[in-house]
Amino acid sequence: MTSTTHRVLTFGAAAGLLAAGLGACATDGTSSAAGAAGVTKDAIKVGGVLTVTSATGYSTGGSELGAKARFDRANAEGGVHGRKIDYVGTEDDGMLPDKGAAGAKKLVQRDKVFALVPVSAPQFGGAEFLEQQKVPWFGWATGPFWCGKTSAFGFNGCLAPKPGQQTQTWWGNQVAAQIGGAKGKTVWIQATDSTASKYGVATMGKSFTAAGFTLAGSSAALPAQAPPQDWSPYVNKIMKSAGGKAPDVLVSVMAGGKFNSGLYAALKEAGFKGLITDATSYDPKAVADPQAARALDGVYAAPQFEPYESDVPEVAKMKADLRKAGGPSAVLDQHAAIGYWSADVFLKILEKTGEDVTRDAFFKAANGFDYQNKGFGQIAYPAGKTASNGCGALVRLSGGEFVVAQHLKCFPNTTL
Amino acid sequence: MELLGYVLSGLVTGAIFALLAAGLTLSYSATGVFNFAHGALGFLSALLFFELTSGAGLPAWPAGAVTVLVVAPLLGYALHRLMFRGLAAAGETAQIVATIGLTIALPAFGLWVVDVLTGTFGLDLPKVTEGASARGLGPRPVRAWHPLDGVTLDSDQLTTFALAVVAAVALWALLRHTPLGLRMRATVDGRDLAGLRGVDAGAASAQAWMLSSVLAALAGVLAVPALGLDSNAFTVLLFASATAAVFGRLRSVPVTFAAGLALGVVQNLVAGYAGFAEKVTGFRTAVPAILLFAGLLALNIGRGRAAGTIAEDVPPPDYLADLPRWRRALPWTAAVAALLVWTFTRAPDDYWAGLVAQGLVLALVFCSFVVVTGVGGMVNLAQASFAALAALAAGLAFGKGLPFPLAVLVGVLAAVAAGVVVALPALRLGGRVLALATLALALLADQVLFQIDAFSNGTVGWRLPAFSLGVGTTGDARLRIVLLLVIIGLTGLLIRNLERSASGRAVLAVRSAPAAAQAIGVSATRAKITLFALASGIAGLGGVLYATFNGQVTSTDLPALTGFVWLAVVVLQGVRRVGGAVLGGLIMVLFPEALGTVTDSPYVGTILFGLGGVVLARHPDGVLAQFAELRYRRRKRRDRLAEVAGLAEPAAAPPSEGPAMLRLEGVVAGYGDATVLRGVDLEVPAGSVVALLGANGAGKSTACAVAGGAVAPAAGRVLLDGADVTALPPHRRAREGLYLAPEGRGVFPALTVEENLTLWLPAAADREDVYRRLPRLGERRAVAAGALSGGEQQILALAPALVRPPKVLIADEPSLGLAPLVVAQVFELFGELRDRGVALLVVEEKAGEVLALADTVAFMSLGRVTWAGARAAVDEDRLTSAYLGLAGREEA
Repeated sequence: MTSTTHRVLTFGAAAGLLAAGLGACATDGTSSAAGAAGVTKDAIKVGGVLTVTSATGYSTGGSELGAKARFDRANAEGGVHGRKIDYVGTEDDGMLPDKGAAGAKKLVQRDKVFALVPVSAPQFGGAEFLEQQKVPWFGWATGPFWCGKTSAFGFNGCLAPKPGQQTQTWWGNQVAAQIGGAKGKTVWIQATDSTASKYGVATMGKSFTAAGFTLAGSSAALPAQAPPQDWSPYVNKIMKSAGGKAPDVLVSVMAGGKFNSGLYAALKEAGFKGLITDATSYDPKAVADPQAARALDGVYAAPQFEPYESDVPEVAKMKADLRKAGGPSAVLDQHAAIGYWSADVFLKILEKTGEDVTRDAFFKAANGFDYQNKGFGQIAYPAGKTASNGCGALVRLSGGEFVVAQHLKCFPNTTL
Repeated sequence: MELLGYVLSGLVTGAIFALLAAGLTLSYSATGVFNFAHGALGFLSALLFFELTSGAGLPAWPAGAVTVLVVAPLLGYALHRLMFRGLAAAGETAQIVATIGLTIALPAFGLWVVDVLTGTFGLDLPKVTEGASARGLGPRPVRAWHPLDGVTLDSDQLTTFALAVVAAVALWALLRHTPLGLRMRATVDGRDLAGLRGVDAGAASAQAWMLSSVLAALAGVLAVPALGLDSNAFTVLLFASATAAVFGRLRSVPVTFAAGLALGVVQNLVAGYAGFAEKVTGFRTAVPAILLFAGLLALNIGRGRAAGTIAEDVPPPDYLADLPRWRRALPWTAAVAALLVWTFTRAPDDYWAGLVAQGLVLALVFCSFVVVTGVGGMVNLAQASFAALAALAAGLAFGKGLPFPLAVLVGVLAAVAAGVVVALPALRLGGRVLALATLALALLADQVLFQIDAFSNGTVGWRLPAFSLGVGTTGDARLRIVLLLVIIGLTGLLIRNLERSASGRAVLAVRSAPAAAQAIGVSATRAKITLFALASGIAGLGGVLYATFNGQVTSTDLPALTGFVWLAVVVLQGVRRVGGAVLGGLIMVLFPEALGTVTDSPYVGTILFGLGGVVLARHPDGVLAQFAELRYRRRKRRDRLAEVAGLAEPAAAPPSEGPAMLRLEGVVAGYGDATVLRGVDLEVPAGSVVALLGANGAGKSTACAVAGGAVAPAAGRVLLDGADVTALPPHRRAREGLYLAPEGRGVFPALTVEENLTLWLPAAADREDVYRRLPRLGERRAVAAGALSGGEQQILALAPALVRPPKVLIADEPSLGLAPLVVAQVFELFGELRDRGVALLVVEEKAGEVLALADTVAFMSLGRVTWAGARAAVDEDRLTSAYLGLAGREEA
């Protein structure tokens, strides 16, 4: 017998013995999922998972400040039913699914948090784990893994519904309002060459056609991993898409500053005069560089909350909270607002749960929860589990400054 | 018009591919290391450039000059010293893995430095977030022109193209027309011989790395305005560029450059015209990967190299072989027992038990590396894709209603099938070419296969629930640990049996001597397929379990780049044993945990994982083998010292009479544990010929190698003109006047006759002298030396010595394989050199002509000079007894 055989048999036998022992004790191994993990007499522990760093440079890290600012306010006001929020900070998933899953496990199993707030990670890998463990998680619902889960709560609902479910129309409607009606106007939707991006083409097409636009075409041809050095093949196609002419509106569903600023610069060079809109350009860092600011000038960004530039009291309060938590140099980007409103929704459900906080009670309270707020519009569960909350705004970048073009407004969804 | 526009702007993209590919080809051909981290070097330079311009506010051109011309060469030099120098001698696996480690570590290092500078030192530098767009060398604001209708060119594009062309021309001129270029090319052609001709091969490698680093930096600075500071984008850019390098056969810089330009144009044309491609998600993204794969198969680069190389990847000795079996198994058995005891003190949803289980899942996947790399000696960069493929296939099957065990089987079989498909190119390719091919396949899987909605269920992926094992479900971390230990144990058993089976031995034979294996009829085909299929099956099972324990699998869960980190970790622990895989898996999950107590930075862990590559450059067999070797060395040191001491002693009285130009004193030398020379004393006076005779295996060539400096003696000294040169490297000895014509042909086959001569005779007048003496060489001065006849090559090898006579000339079997007429000519040259005062040591196996020339004759047998004396004293009896090994010391 070789030494390996010997070794294998040794621990095989040991394993067998112990497995028998396990059978005895497995029966009394109770799951803590339904218990009151992370809840004490005077505190509730929460923590989040964000994409703070990533190879592409994309970062949702600002949401940590937003959540902290909102929790600070709640604690200053005496907490929720006498319990302070113990915010343990966030795990960075590096935009890697396995790191996200590890981060979620760490928060739940080691740090024993009650819920995950905020979660904002485009490739979050912990969704199924949290669903199995029945741990509530709150944040910016972008990917389809948010949708249809008992444990997942997007402050903005679910942006990636299944065919037959409800999808948003606010973006199309807001753009239509901006250019004085959609009748006879054409729209082009640009995505990158990946499944996720192509999916965006479908929902966005629906949003704009529901608002009355005609679809001039769409493309998901851009190589997904790196922006092209040369934009001319893509730009030429767009410039001829509306019956040989350029379309009236260009919607970009591409994430990544380099993709968007590269495309816009090339479009402008080619003489594009239409309206350009995307979901990511509402970012003070994006316009710090003069070249990028030039490319993004005149672009309409579409945040899912009332912009910082607005004078709505809820926004003024949020700005004050953010500055208080982050100091005068706090960066007010869209992720800070997302973190803030995610935490807000969590606190409201917690309030509704009452004094006896368990996860079961929390889920019960969330069912039938309906909440409106001028800061981000509205959210209701369980409707928000499978459909968008239907609200959004438009911000225009003009001369290096963001200007509110359309205030936050909610529109009825349409069937995808 | 549109077409013209696509071609023109495609050339600009191509220029960046071309620059990167040229650097890749340069460093590969100069040092034999294929640098996967070339793109990472570009990223690091782009980052520095960004911080210098946007952060420190330097104007673009000075910042560019600092980055490309100052920092990049320094970085190249530092990497050469730390890593590449050691890698040149390491096996192919270690080379690939080490540079992949660097690919991971370098960008993280740069980002970490920025973090530390801003965080700890409070410098006001911009962070690398999405919006922070970096500029390039071109002017700001960007100007655009429309030279023709539908054609747009901007100032960034023109700057990029102009600089790339200037760099390419400069590189070509440098390689072809400067002494530096000649030295680099000589090192490429024959590293050892270059040393013997006075070329410092180490310095030439360092220069090649510095130059290649400059090219990477230039490409990085030029690419950054379009790519942004995205380290993955740079790695992807490198893979695209590797396609161009492959089309240049990793040798020709001009062809590589042209291929890079062409690649840019092709990519643009596909984007502009291939409308059909839009239906297949990912097709356009995958164009370079498809071309890379096609190029590797079509050009078949592997074949030429495989013939000439023997055992590039020598398995290390089993340092534990002298320990009893129980002693070898003890640490592992104890560790497993301790782990099990610990496991049952934990709760079912315990965080730490969950981590250990996660580590063991990875360990199972890592076992596949043990099969394909450890046993098979092949590097497969697609292992993460196999795991993902299996998990997705199992998820699909389960989602379609198949029972769980069947779904697992479907997943494993899918991975096995993929493994066989990968094995098909492996049959023809080897080493780094195979690694590149598997890389291309991994990228294709990521970019095309996993993008098919029906297969990966869009971005949602598939759910895989915990399954029951009778005593509980896999939701219980403790049960997962036990289950995985059993599976890994069985896998270890399987691997052990495989190694001892007929296929295992066949693989080993093919691996260490492909030609010999073929000669005795060992087929590598079946063995390689078996290995790949088995490895993929293991990776597939690991992948399915990974997904199941995670609850879900999506197409982005296990990207190809994850496989890189895995490979780096497992090879660092030791890829030849299952123990290395287990250790690797546990380290992979537990190390970040331990690190988390020290630092918050997400970069430090990445840097450390990547830096494993540097360790690997020093110890190519991994940490486990390193420990084993250390213990072995300690056990053996005393024996070895005793042996050397015993051998060196009796050789105390050299027959000294007058000053010798070359003198070996009591030299003991050998290779590894085998001692070849057992106390050699030899002296060669100026103006005389010493013939060193002896049977095959007597140690003659080793004696030459010790004299030349290629082999360091364990004891004894080498004196050149009275000075002790024992510690000097070959090129220093050559510069001191030692000229060694090694066995075979001492010429650089890929260099022209003129270039061969230039290495020893830098002055043109000296080379003209040679041509006057040997008009035949003059006629063929522009011909590659490899195209000369054997006799001409031998003359060429010795010709430089005629014009610039060295102090000592050593010729190892100069008459081997030559026609008698040529031999006479060669020996005539020796006679002339002797008359001009050169000390000649002529080594021959057969006495023949050399006896007529020699002044002194020395016989070698079994690593000793058994007799030395005047030629006159040599008669037939002495010859006979010398060859038969009868001439003992007492006779001398």
